[in-house]
Amino acid sequence: MSVVDVSDMRDRLLARAKREGLATVGYAVFDSPVGPLWAATGPKGVAGIHFGRGPSEWELRRLVRLYGPGIVPDPKPNAALFRELDQYFSGRRRAFDVPFDLRGITPFQERVLRTTSRIAYGELMTYAAVARRAGNGRASRATGAAVGSNPIPIVVPCHRVVASDGTLGGYGGGLDVKRYLLAIERAQVPPGGWPKRGA
Amino acid sequence: MDAVRSSAVREAAARTFGELLERHEREIFAYALRLTGARADAEDLYQETFLAAFRAWPPPRRDHERAWLYRIATNKAIDAARRRPALVSVEDLSLAAPERDGVTVLDLANAIRLLPAGQRAAFVLHAVEGRPYREVAAVLDCTEEAARTRVSDATKKVRRQIE
Repeated sequence: MSVVDVSDMRDRLLARAKREGLATVGYAVFDSPVGPLWAATGPKGVAGIHFGRGPSEWELRRLVRLYGPGIVPDPKPNAALFRELDQYFSGRRRAFDVPFDLRGITPFQERVLRTTSRIAYGELMTYAAVARRAGNGRASRATGAAVGSNPIPIVVPCHRVVASDGTLGGYGGGLDVKRYLLAIERAQVPPGGWPKRGA
Repeated sequence: MDAVRSSAVREAAARTFGELLERHEREIFAYALRLTGARADAEDLYQETFLAAFRAWPPPRRDHERAWLYRIATNKAIDAARRRPALVSVEDLSLAAPERDGVTVLDLANAIRLLPAGQRAAFVLHAVEGRPYREVAAVLDCTEEAARTRVSDATKKVRRQIE
């Protein structure tokens, strides 16, 4: 009785909780080449991705604010995302088709991240350029903070936003991860075709 | 500072059903197994307990979610026992028990199963799981004195049964 396997029971419990509308968001961990990624998907799509096995305090608060307490361990809603992540990491996918839910952040953060989500595969944009396109060219510092608060990294490709001096800037998952992601994407661009300048 | 914050986070009440499940589902199932003595019944009890907890969310007092879950499980077990009194007799079960000298685990399990539901919960919590009377009282929503009485009555019955 010391080792208790509850996975089958949990599946049945969650199926009932979902039928009753008690559980609306499922989370699971994806083992990626850059380490574990904690992901949560709700009725409006992917609601959060976090580098690590669990969400940060900030992310959990945002999810609870958006969806209430019905956030449960459940890989099923994340299946499409995990398939696309798998394809992305093996260089077979250039854009994510899964819907995502950016609510729960400020309108400015949302504008910045919508702009970020439109940066094409393998391309770079500076914080200043993102700020201009998000409608506030003078707010590049605030833009940096907004990019840094991206609740859905990789799918919303904030790793494609870099500093004006050509350096990488920052990254929630660490600069090694940012470099790794850009290297995946660079390999897909014809030789010499990948922009190295920060514009 | 980070260490202080993370330890505070660990001890904080669950904010999601997922946190509640991941923290407590194993021990609640183990408790359900001891209370009911049968896997299928324990699975039902586990499910009913957590569904009731989700429906009644949030836990009534901060930092007492564990006692809250035990209380729900205990009440659900008592309700189920009232609806469905002992289905299997000790005689039937002892036929299936391996022959051994002395008292077998199955003898004990059978004796526990024959207890009235309230006494059974008290006995399992205190004598099997080793919880102090204070916790038994919290789970059963009674005084510590009443918890002692239930455990003592149950112990006498179990002893009579296996002797």
